[in-house]
Amino acid sequence: MLEVTGVSRSFGGVYAVRDVSLSVADGEVCGVIGPNGAGKSTLFNLITGHLAAEHGRISFLGHRVDRLAAHRRARLGMSIVFQAARVFRGMTVRENAMVGLHGCTRAGFVSAALRLPRHRRDEREIVAEADRALNRVGLAEWADQPADLLPIGQQRALQLARALCARPRLLLLDEPASGLRGNERERLATLIEELRASGLTILLIEHDVAFVTRLADRVVVLDLGQVIADGTPAEVRADPLVLAAYLGQAS
Amino acid sequence: MIRLVAGLLIAAVTLALPSVLDESALPVYILLGLAAMVTVGVSLLMGYAGQVSLGQGAFYAIGAYTAALLALNGVPPLAGLIAAPVVAALSALVIGTPLLRLRGHHLAFATLAMQLILLSLAGQLEFTGGDIGLQAIPQFSVGSWEAEGATTYAYLTWAGVALVMLVTHNVITSRPGRALRALATSETAAASSGIPVGRYKLTVFALSAAFAGLAGGIYCFYTGYVAPGSFPVLMSIQYIVMAVVGGLGTTWGAVIGASAITLLLQGLNTLSSLPGMPTYAPSVFSYAVYALVLIVVVLFLPQGLLPAVTDRLVRRRREPSVRTR
Repeated sequence: MLEVTGVSRSFGGVYAVRDVSLSVADGEVCGVIGPNGAGKSTLFNLITGHLAAEHGRISFLGHRVDRLAAHRRARLGMSIVFQAARVFRGMTVRENAMVGLHGCTRAGFVSAALRLPRHRRDEREIVAEADRALNRVGLAEWADQPADLLPIGQQRALQLARALCARPRLLLLDEPASGLRGNERERLATLIEELRASGLTILLIEHDVAFVTRLADRVVVLDLGQVIADGTPAEVRADPLVLAAYLGQAS
Repeated sequence: MIRLVAGLLIAAVTLALPSVLDESALPVYILLGLAAMVTVGVSLLMGYAGQVSLGQGAFYAIGAYTAALLALNGVPPLAGLIAAPVVAALSALVIGTPLLRLRGHHLAFATLAMQLILLSLAGQLEFTGGDIGLQAIPQFSVGSWEAEGATTYAYLTWAGVALVMLVTHNVITSRPGRALRALATSETAAASSGIPVGRYKLTVFALSAAFAGLAGGIYCFYTGYVAPGSFPVLMSIQYIVMAVVGGLGTTWGAVIGASAITLLLQGLNTLSSLPGMPTYAPSVFSYAVYALVLIVVVLFLPQGLLPAVTDRLVRRRREPSVRTR
């Protein structure tokens, strides 16, 4: 489904990501872990289109996407949950989820300004679908509250609802567990497990090794911008290179 | 319910005012409405696309010249009035396409430059009438009905304000509006929800230009002449002050901001023409008031007048329920 081949990106002559290749198969949960500064976020931004790759290619569902703008990649079916709380301020929880449906709906400025009948029908469907997504992540009762008042755990869940509204083929999660308390983390893990059970393909980029190994079918380990291991959680955990990277020793 | 009553009340007052106001107050009422129309667009542009246009007066001028030139060449005034916002919006698309790719205040500087260039061109070119401008523009008419007197133009203007507010409200509360509100928080997150951020910003810029163009079109029929001197750069700055004072990204705020500034300027104008005031008083007052009002609002009501008032009302209504918990 997602094929990253030999991708590199440097900042001021220093490679943040160097010649990284990885692939995510249909229906798989793939985890990317690595110590701080390993290039996880850079890799994430290269895949989602918020950074341009200097070398290499990225294909998604058979399309070459590494030259496409972020919104085009989103419309192909990449949905994202960001690390930083990126709920939209000044909008209700429901409206936030409704934004996720942007790529799947058509109504433009003209039909909105004139309130054409088609617009009303679309709008009803958008609300229904947003409410379904909110229900799925357990935010239904907050639907009419301002989104910025939610605690951080629920903001993350809201991002997930927004991502689900976009009818994703691939769900990308950037450090979803960061900043969450134990019980919030547990709830998020349960949510991700439910999504996995429903057959959604997920790429999970995460600092917390335990969180990833619990959820992922396969784990890719990054260190200093390069892939140092790729395998099942058990294989990766036993890999001496990985242990060295995490313990900060030269092997 | 409260909103409906308030809306009806405001509509009634707006409709009643033209027949109540006297000869000297009616022009102020018309100019206030025209300014409100432009300010709604500025508020939309600044509040949602995060862009500043220092050249909104240029789109006002484009609208005015478009309608005037068409009317003087025998095109029915109604067609001229419809063409005014269209031509203004198209100009915005042409100007905005390269500029909105840039970040920061490039658009502000470029629009300022555009207005200066446009004004000097209009002052030089023959078909725009040079510095003297275009005169003897026919009255606004639809078919055999012809506008006469300021009262008609007052109604026309405020119908335009209502139209602009309705369009803005409809846009903001729908799919494109949600996209705009989303990208005002985070362009990255908006793009990843499939929103073409650049195209949306450009569309808002064009929409704000269309509002200014419509106001300009009405203005040219009302005054009967347009000249480069009718569109000073200070006018563009005035719209920004009005939008900020009223509260960015609020439709009603733009109208309230336009009213507050217009009435304030009018009051100061009366004050400075009292006997005993120095001759430079009017201009000093009007410049100083922009600066002072802007500083005071940014310091004490950073959200603008309307949000400051509504927040207070909402908080008052919510407080008792919080205590009972």
